[in-house]
Amino acid sequence: MKIDRFPALGFAAMLAISACTGTASPSPAATSPSPAAASSATSPSPAASPSATPLAADPAEAVIKNIEPNAQITFWTYYLSPTFDSYIKETIARFEATYPGVNVTWQDHQGTFQQDLNAAFAAKKAPDVINLSVGEGWVSDYASKGLLLALDDKVPQDVQSIYFPGLWKEQLVGGKNFQFPWYQSIATELVNKRIYEQGAGLSVATFPKTFDELPTVCKTILDKTSTLCDIRLSVNDLLAQMTYEEGVKILSADGKKFAFDSPEAVNWLNRYVGMVKQGTVDKDILIANEDRTGLLLFSAGQAAFWQTAPNLVREVKKNNATLYGDLAVVPAPVGKSGVDGKGSMGISVKADTTFPNASIALAQFFTNPRSMVAFAKIVSIYPSSPKAYDDPFFSSTPAAVEDSARPLAKDIVSKYQDIVPTLPIGATKADVNNIVLKAVQSALFNNVDPQKALTDAVAQANALIK
Amino acid sequence: MTARFSATPYLFLAPALALIGIFVIYPILAVVYFSFTEWDIVRPPVWVGIQNYQQLVADPTFWKALTNSIVYLLVTPTIIALSVGLAIIVNRKLRGVSIFRALYFVPAVSGSIAIGIAWRWLFDRNGFINSVLISIGALKTPIQWLSEPSLVLPIAMLLTIWAGIGYYSVIFVAGLQNIPEELYDAAQIDGCNSLQKHWHVSLPGLRPQIVFVSVISSLAALKVFDEIYVLTNRTGGILDSGVTVVFYLWKEAFVLEHAGYAAAIAMVLLVLTLAFSIVNVRFLERGQERV
Repeated sequence: MKIDRFPALGFAAMLAISACTGTASPSPAATSPSPAAASSATSPSPAASPSATPLAADPAEAVIKNIEPNAQITFWTYYLSPTFDSYIKETIARFEATYPGVNVTWQDHQGTFQQDLNAAFAAKKAPDVINLSVGEGWVSDYASKGLLLALDDKVPQDVQSIYFPGLWKEQLVGGKNFQFPWYQSIATELVNKRIYEQGAGLSVATFPKTFDELPTVCKTILDKTSTLCDIRLSVNDLLAQMTYEEGVKILSADGKKFAFDSPEAVNWLNRYVGMVKQGTVDKDILIANEDRTGLLLFSAGQAAFWQTAPNLVREVKKNNATLYGDLAVVPAPVGKSGVDGKGSMGISVKADTTFPNASIALAQFFTNPRSMVAFAKIVSIYPSSPKAYDDPFFSSTPAAVEDSARPLAKDIVSKYQDIVPTLPIGATKADVNNIVLKAVQSALFNNVDPQKALTDAVAQANALIK
Repeated sequence: MTARFSATPYLFLAPALALIGIFVIYPILAVVYFSFTEWDIVRPPVWVGIQNYQQLVADPTFWKALTNSIVYLLVTPTIIALSVGLAIIVNRKLRGVSIFRALYFVPAVSGSIAIGIAWRWLFDRNGFINSVLISIGALKTPIQWLSEPSLVLPIAMLLTIWAGIGYYSVIFVAGLQNIPEELYDAAQIDGCNSLQKHWHVSLPGLRPQIVFVSVISSLAALKVFDEIYVLTNRTGGILDSGVTVVFYLWKEAFVLEHAGYAAAIAMVLLVLTLAFSIVNVRFLERGQERV
C-alpha cells in the first residue's frame, strides 16, 4: 500500500482521467483458447522466425476498386510486434505498392488492446483497420455498438468467395458480416509423454476424442502420478464453451429468451463439478483468466496435457527444451456439437472511416491467400481461404512437432462455424458471461446444485433483455 | 482605508490552481456526472438519473466488496503493533542492526505487483509454502491456497502487512529517537522492567506516530487493489471472495464496461473515505493537542 493523503479524491480522479483520456488500465488479456480452443485470441508465438524474402507486388492483388486518392489509414494489430515486424512491414509496403497513393500507419497493441481501442473510439481516434479476435467475440461486441463497417455490401462477391464460407459468416450482427477472416488456429492438446505415458501408463494414440472421456483420464493421471489435470474453462466465453462442448442451445427456439439451463447444460457443468469433487483438476487453472497460466505450468513439466494452439509449442520449446523432446501434439477433443471450433482472428474496418475502400483494401490484402501463405510459413497459423492451401507448403511433411497438424489444417479450418447465436438486445456477452461464471463457480466450489445455479443464472440473464 | 487589490499572489497561485482544477476538480465533477449515466466508455453517456445508485443498494457483490474492504481494515492495528515492536527491536544498538533495517525495508521499495507475483508463487500449488509443509510432513497433498475462497482475503492482508511493516517501522523508529532518554531513566528508577518501560514511556511517546500511521494505513486499506489484482490473477477470487470496493470498481469500469455504474461506486468510496479521513484527522488533532 502506498501513502496517499486523499485516496478517494485520487482514485476518483484516476477513474475519470482514465475514462476520459484513455489511459490504459490493467485488464484481463484475452488470450484464452475459447470453446474448442481453436477460437482463440492467442497471438502467434513470439518465438517464430522472421519473414523470408519479401514478396514482390502483384497487380492481381488489387481486388478492391475505387480507392480514395491519397488515403491515410491507420492499422492496429494485436500482439504481433516485435516478432512479426518484418512480415507486417513488408506486407504493408507491398500493399502500398499495389495501391499507389495509400499510406498506412501501423501500430501493435498488446495487453491493453481493448482498453486502448475503447479509449480511441471514445476519443473518435479509432484506427481505420483493426485486428479483432473472432474467438473472443470482439467483432460482434464492437459491431453491435455500431462501430464497425458491414462488409457484405462493400466487398465484391468474387472477393467474399475466396474465404471459407463458415469463416466469412462468423460474428454476424443483424445478419451482416463485419470481418475479413485472418489467421486461424487449430485446437490441439500438447501432451507431456513423461507424465501421460511413462507415469500414468496411458497412450497418446488413444488420447480422449470427446470431453466425456476426460474425467476418467484425469483420475488415472492423479492416481498414478499424483499430478492434477490442467483444464481451463473458457471463463471469458462460457456460453460458447457449453455450446461447442455439449451442444447446449443458449436461447429459446424463438431466440428471445435465454435457455442455458437445459439437461445438456447441466451435464456440461456436472462434468467439471465431478472433477473438482474428485480433486483431479487444478482449481487455479480451471478458472484462470489467461491461457498462458496453464501453458506456463505445462511448460514447467507440471501437467500431463494442455489444450492450446500449435503455434504456442514454440513457447514450450523456448522455456523448457527438455520437455520439448517429450512432447506429443494430438487433436483436441471434439464436443457434442460436432463442430471443431470457430475462427481465431479477423480484420475489421471502423464504421466511420474517411477512407472505406482503402481500409477494406488493406483488410482484404492482409487476408488474401498470398499474404496468408507467407505468414503461415513463418509461424504455425493457418489461412482462411481454400486457395492458400494449394501451396505445396501445406502438403509437405512437417518436420517439427508444432507443425504436425498442418496437413490436416485445411480440412479442419474449412469446417469452422460460429454456432453461438447473437444475444438478445440489452444482454451483452460480458454481462451474461459474468452471470454464468458466478453460477459455474457456485456449483464448482460452493456446493450449489448445477441445475439451480444455471436456472438462477438464466433468470438473471433474462432480466438484462430490453 | 480600502485594501488595494494585488494580482501578484493570484498569478503565483495560478499554475497550481490550474493543475488542481484540471487533474483534481474536473475529474471529480466528471465522475459525479458519469455516476448518473449509463456509459460503456465507447459510446456517449446516457443520463439515467439515480438508477446506478438504486442498483448499487440492491447489488450483493457491492455489499460483499464493501464488507471485504472493511474487514481489510484489520490490517491497520496489526501493522501498527508489529511495526512498533520491530521499531523497538531495531532501535537498540545491536551488531548488524543496520543490515537488518535495510532488509526489512526492502518490501517498501519493491513494486507491489512484483511482490504480489512473488507471493503468488509462494502460495502456488507447487510453491514454497506447500513444499515446506509437505517436506515436514504437515501436508500430504498440496493445498491450492488461492483457490480457497476463505483464504484469499487473509493472504492478501498478510501480504499488505508484510510489505508495510518496514515502511511504518521507520516512522516509529524516528518517533522513538525523539523520546528523551531521561524518561526511560526515570522509569527505571521507578522500578519498571524493560517491558514496562516501553508500555509506560515508548507507547505514549509514539502516540502522534501511531495516530498518523493509523490514518494513512487505514485509508490505504480502504483503497486496496494491487494485492487483490495480482494474487487472484485479476479475477477477484473464486465467488468474489477477494473483491474489494476498488477492485469491484475497476472490474465494472474496465472489464464489464459499466463506467457509469463504476462512477457511482467511486462516489460511495469518495464519501466513505472522506468521512473516514475527517474522523481520523480530528482524532489526530486531538492527539497532538494532548502531546
